[in-house]
Amino acid sequence: MSRKGSRTVVSLDGITKRFGDIVANDEVDFTLEAGTVHALLGENGSGKTTLMSVLYGLYDQDDGRIVVEGEGREFTSPRDAIDAGIGMIHQHFQLVEPMTVLQNVVLGQEPVDRGLVDEEGARAEIEALCDRYEFDVDQYLDTPVRDLDIGVKQRVEIVKSLYRGAEILVFDEPTAVLTPQEVEGLFDLMDELTKQGRSIVFITHKLDEAMEIADEITVLRDGEAVDTVDGDGTSKEELARMMVGREVLFDRQARDRTTGERIFEVEGLHVRGDRGLEQVTDVDAWAREGEILGIAGVQGNGQSELVQALTGLRPVESGRIRFAGDDITETSRRDRIERGIVYVPEDRQREGLVLEYDLVRNALLGNQTVAPFVDGWFVDWAAVRDHARDIVEEYDVEPPEPTARSASLSGGNQQKFVVGREINHAPQVLVASHPTRGVDIGSVEFIHNRLLELRSNGVAIVFVSSKLEEIQKLSDRIAVLYEGRVVDTVDPDDVTDQELGLLMTGNTLDGSDESLERRSDVRGDT
Amino acid sequence: MSDADSGRARDALDGAADRLLGATPVERVALALASTVTALLIGLVVVTAAGYDPLMFVNDMLYGAFGTERRLTITLRETSYFILAGVAVAVAFRTGVFNIGVQGQFIVGMLATTMTILWLTPFLPANRLGGVGLLLVGTLGGVAAGGAYGALPGVLKAYADANEIITTIMLNFIAIGVVFFLVDGPFRGEGESATRTASIPEYAELPPVLLDGSDFSILGLVATVGIAVLIYVLLTRTRAGYDMVTSGHQESAAIYSGVDAKRTIVRTMTISGMVAGVLGALFIVMHANAMPNANGINTYGFDAIAVSLLAANHPLGVIPAGALFGGLDAGGQYINVASDVPPQLIDGIVGLVVLFVAAPELFRMAAKRTGLGGDRR
Amino acid sequence: MSVSGYLTRQPVRIVGLIAVIAAAGVVVVWQDLGLARLLTLGYLDRSLRAATPIALVAIGGLFAEKSGVFNIGVEGFMIFGAVNGLAAASLVSGNGPVTQFDLWIGLFVAVLISALLTTLFAVLMIRYEADQIVAGLAVWFIGLGFGPFTAILIWGSRNSGTVGRIGSLDLPVLSGIPVLGPVLFGASPFILLTIAITIGAWVFLYRTRYGYWLQAAGENPEALDTAGIDVNRVRYAAVIFSGTMAGLAGAVLTLGVTGNFIGSGMTVVDGRGWIGIVAYLFGNYNPIGAFLAALLFGAMDMLQIQFQTIGVPLPSSLVDLFPYVVVIVVLTFYGSTRMPSRVGEPYESEE
Repeated sequence: MSRKGSRTVVSLDGITKRFGDIVANDEVDFTLEAGTVHALLGENGSGKTTLMSVLYGLYDQDDGRIVVEGEGREFTSPRDAIDAGIGMIHQHFQLVEPMTVLQNVVLGQEPVDRGLVDEEGARAEIEALCDRYEFDVDQYLDTPVRDLDIGVKQRVEIVKSLYRGAEILVFDEPTAVLTPQEVEGLFDLMDELTKQGRSIVFITHKLDEAMEIADEITVLRDGEAVDTVDGDGTSKEELARMMVGREVLFDRQARDRTTGERIFEVEGLHVRGDRGLEQVTDVDAWAREGEILGIAGVQGNGQSELVQALTGLRPVESGRIRFAGDDITETSRRDRIERGIVYVPEDRQREGLVLEYDLVRNALLGNQTVAPFVDGWFVDWAAVRDHARDIVEEYDVEPPEPTARSASLSGGNQQKFVVGREINHAPQVLVASHPTRGVDIGSVEFIHNRLLELRSNGVAIVFVSSKLEEIQKLSDRIAVLYEGRVVDTVDPDDVTDQELGLLMTGNTLDGSDESLERRSDVRGDT
Repeated sequence: MSDADSGRARDALDGAADRLLGATPVERVALALASTVTALLIGLVVVTAAGYDPLMFVNDMLYGAFGTERRLTITLRETSYFILAGVAVAVAFRTGVFNIGVQGQFIVGMLATTMTILWLTPFLPANRLGGVGLLLVGTLGGVAAGGAYGALPGVLKAYADANEIITTIMLNFIAIGVVFFLVDGPFRGEGESATRTASIPEYAELPPVLLDGSDFSILGLVATVGIAVLIYVLLTRTRAGYDMVTSGHQESAAIYSGVDAKRTIVRTMTISGMVAGVLGALFIVMHANAMPNANGINTYGFDAIAVSLLAANHPLGVIPAGALFGGLDAGGQYINVASDVPPQLIDGIVGLVVLFVAAPELFRMAAKRTGLGGDRR
Repeated sequence: MSVSGYLTRQPVRIVGLIAVIAAAGVVVVWQDLGLARLLTLGYLDRSLRAATPIALVAIGGLFAEKSGVFNIGVEGFMIFGAVNGLAAASLVSGNGPVTQFDLWIGLFVAVLISALLTTLFAVLMIRYEADQIVAGLAVWFIGLGFGPFTAILIWGSRNSGTVGRIGSLDLPVLSGIPVLGPVLFGASPFILLTIAITIGAWVFLYRTRYGYWLQAAGENPEALDTAGIDVNRVRYAAVIFSGTMAGLAGAVLTLGVTGNFIGSGMTVVDGRGWIGIVAYLFGNYNPIGAFLAALLFGAMDMLQIQFQTIGVPLPSSLVDLFPYVVVIVVLTFYGSTRMPSRVGEPYESEE
């Protein structure tokens, strides 16, 4: 339904925000009408969270104006935004786990009575608030937040903002952690809030939800505002095209059909993340010799955990991983390296390199049990030095001095070195996670060519990237990951950008309107 | 101070911190030397202020360290101890494990060596050859005991996340207490009125060889330097050493490269304890000849932390650092006896050197190991 | 948090605690110790006295760690407090005898100096984001160097010899209360002080807004930041408090318990700072828990004397080791289970 409000409560005019060379927001205009839900839709990295962070005072914009309720405003910190009546419900809850709901709600704004916190007064206020909006939060006031359900935690976040008198509420990807029932509950809540005069910004990458709840939808892409449409008058295809559609900038090379054996496969894989929640659910996938399997998806849908499980850096809950016929599910990281499974890591500065080491010593990383470099107990440093020099030359690493301390290299050069080192391992399987992140265009091309070269030499490559064009260019097959499951595995020649975009938001390609069913015992419940 | 001034002061401070951070090895050696000299100079000032003649003091110190053959052997003996203990500390600190327990591991190794030799004596011929056998087996016993006592906190850290600084400090206390109890009781030598085990047979002692002096054998110094070199080779030229040092720098990168972090921690502590065990063995076969009261043993294990820090935790750098401490110790002993400068003053000066040397290196280490998402805890 | 909730959540700790109590029970029966003879009022008094420095340093330390900064240098700060207190008292008394008044002045001076020193340390930790473990070790080494050096400057020796001890209170009515009266009100004033600080700390942490901020700073600094509170300012306050408390603890040790300063070896502080850290860990980062844990360690410390008093033949050199063994057991089984989640991570507000 469409509830066009009569006045504009928030107006962002020409907001530009840069981080170094990256332009996160490029002259973005955005308006929010009173009493409406306005969805901010876009892929990961499109700039939606940045835009709202500017509004919330977490960032200062480089250019542009913020107007709230007709007054131009400058927010130097969230405190200012809160004072202006803006409340943000973050994707990663800003809650202090061991403290109670009551304590969390009043944090930073505690009522004080003779030096001590006036708990009774706070309690009364919060209960009144909860009654007004029919929240259930007041029954949990004395429960430590860590004992609560995710849905309840989110409502605590909302109460926090309301307690501070927020008229404008910004929800950052609120449904990411909710079950379908909880999502309905949230939407009912949003209806109630807008009915009572609040205005809502709803940041999401999920098309159907935006269409369901929003009165207006603004699509962001690569930092720019593409368009603003009516929530009722649009379609999924139109939105997907706006979100993802781009000029075809690359040449997808004609390639031979791969005929190699399946060398690397996973079956029914379940992997838990750092916080104990399952991040990879029942994943089946495989890669043949001489084939590139691309793993696409919005970051945070289990790709990291999957890659860590594949490379031996994270244990597996259940399921099997097979390499060349052997079951390697329980093998150690070193064992997998020795079998020829190398890994270009996501975080080169934490994992791929020891920053204190020079390039020579870093050349040994991962190669500690590899023949010419290590002989019995001893390291042949001369061989390692030559190897480092080779990598530096072949991969055009600047400065070309292998004795330079790695920390002094630029991000791009560090990455080139890591990629070079791993490729020069002459692997049978190469797993790469965002291999061209932070690398200049020329080097990206170079790395792509080396990967294709590896492919024609019969290496199986599994690679994760959030750059859709890169995945499309390089992959022979693309597996799309959403909330830990493989939505579908497709041939890049057979799908359009829109279709990929749809897959990445959890929709299957048979045109069904339903999002993939999420099993509630797997996501979200403590 | 105006904003501009405080801004400038802050920048100056930041600049100084950066300099400390980015110091090259040469600069760090210079820094270490400068710290030592500064501490000694301050010490001289205090000596003068206390009413003693500084030049006489320096003269006595030097004589005490190098004056006669006998004094030289004392210096070399103490140096050996400091080097060994320093190597034990260095191997741990280098690889990111803060082993404060070298003193405890050393004492445990010492007892083990003594008792092993005593128990084995009846089974081996009572001559030089038998003595060598006793010596070797005894040393092995000390190494095993020291290694085991070092492995314990290593296991606790690796598998129970128990802070190794605190556990090793506690284990120091426990080692001294238990060893004292054993030596005072069941292991006390027959007819000994003091808290002491029986003495090991003379033929099992390390012979003086070159220099004739007080409880010193050049073989001991050779063995010590040998071990320092061995550890250096281990850390810089072996795969195991690379794994250990990398774990110390950046554990996440080490794990990425296939290193089993937990096993590495235990391995490191064990090696550190083993070196401490060698020190214990050396102390017995070269010097003490019987296990004394654990409470009265010099705190080589503890001072070794300063030795190692002076050497920036470099196993070869420990050699000159150990020599410095050895010289100070021997010189101090002489002054204690021969002049009327109170021993406390000397101890205070040594303490000052420890302070001036340890603190900057620790702050440099502290400043260096930041960021990287809280890799160390 | 309810008791039943607590119990269901911590099975390992509860089992561990029961095991320890059971083991102690076995020892009591085996040695025919007779709890009535063991747990005398005198033992309680001695234990409390021994516990006061540990409790004080523990409470300070827990505040720092709760805010996200692990002040591992408390042993060093204790040494400073220990030597400065007596040194100031000696200096103030000049050539005459050391009076009670001099001793109290010494206490205040020691606390003041500790506050100043900790401020420098806090800057290093927070602004320069130094590695907390190594910086703490540095403070310890500095203390180990300066302690005896100061002693030499003031008394000509690393050990001060007896200087003086702050005498017992004897509050007229209160000390007449049966059982606890003489202990709390008729003996060392520091027992009362420590209990007051413990309760004050508890109230501060759990009932005032600053306490809320402190907890948030260590668990979820972003939440605190977005709530509009300066995280690093909270951390500075907590760290300075921890060092000041450690200094107070050291001063209480020398001015209230021993009456002298020993500069040799581990100094008179003798590892109490480290034990204090374990005490607050064992006490679950709660001031009252820390106090009770400190009391336990104090009791362990005095156990050997008590055994001698009632004639238990266990060898003293071994009984002396009880506190150290308990420390290791605690660290192994209780170690990191309840650390504030963001300890050790420097916090930078975006922009």
